Amino acid sequence: MKNKSKINIKDLQEEKNNPFSVPEGYFENFPSKIQEKIVSDQKETNWFIQLYHVIKPQLALGFMIAGFAFIAITAIDTIMSNRVKSPVSNETYTRIIEVDASEYSEQQFIDILIEDEKKSAEEKKEETDEYIHYLMDEGIDYGTLIDEL
Amino acid sequence: MSDYSDKELLTLFKNQEKRNYAFNLIVRKYQEKLYWHIRKIVIKHDDADDILQNTFIKIWKGLDGFREDSKLYTWLYRIATNESLTFLKQKKTKYLLSIVDYENQLKETLESDEHFNGTEIQLKLQKAILGLPEKQRIVFNMKYFEEMKYDDMAQVLNTSVGALKASYHHAVKKIENYFKED
Repeated sequence: MKNKSKINIKDLQEEKNNPFSVPEGYFENFPSKIQEKIVSDQKETNWFIQLYHVIKPQLALGFMIAGFAFIAITAIDTIMSNRVKSPVSNETYTRIIEVDASEYSEQQFIDILIEDEKKSAEEKKEETDEYIHYLMDEGIDYGTLIDEL
Repeated sequence: MSDYSDKELLTLFKNQEKRNYAFNLIVRKYQEKLYWHIRKIVIKHDDADDILQNTFIKIWKGLDGFREDSKLYTWLYRIATNESLTFLKQKKTKYLLSIVDYENQLKETLESDEHFNGTEIQLKLQKAILGLPEKQRIVFNMKYFEEMKYDDMAQVLNTSVGALKASYHHAVKKIENYFKED
């Protein structure tokens, strides 16, 4: 080697010889070692494949039963949920369960009924107004109509 | 050593009856090249042996799907390189080693390795190489010791020729500086 301060990678060319070594007979034995490993790997894979082939029909049957069970449960669930459907709407049902009837007095019930009657009177008046407007729009004389009736 | 070309070996491998024989010929043809490539990365013989076995198992499993759009030997080198890098990564993670710690460990291994028969300068050169970043180390070994073409190296390492030339240049400078400083 030349002066250390002027070392160049080309000066090391003669050091390119492989400084490593292997145990005796390593490369002679390696191909058979790798073949053995591949064979044992294949045996393991084959064992798994064979097991899979053996249990394949059972697996298929199991999945089929599970599938049918799932469909049946879903269908029954749908039918049952339709049958037990409440006759009142959800909103009404919520209102019903929210109030406790015992909290109402008799007077409150009467007030509600009166209010309801008032509502229907107002609706009737609106209906009558609609008839009058119709007759006026069509130009039908109110007196003539009464005479005809 | 087999006299078959890579193409002939691949044709032979495609024949179901002869695939074991063909694979055996591939192992015989490439075992030494791949071993030394791996050994220079991981340094220890036992580690190199394990990696070489895994490399050939992967080659056996993947050879059916080899599309021949690259050379067989660059494909084999790529598998060996990837296996070696994965090994180094696992080792560092397993023992929670920093890069510097791992470098020092490899340098110690080199000194005590019964399968290292190099001169003092060769030992120093190997230590200088171990001081390089992993990928730069691989590039240096492939170019300097294995004298591989940049085009083939680019296929193995999946990078550009320009990047490889720059990497090699940096590696050479670092090694030269190592010798100057030491």
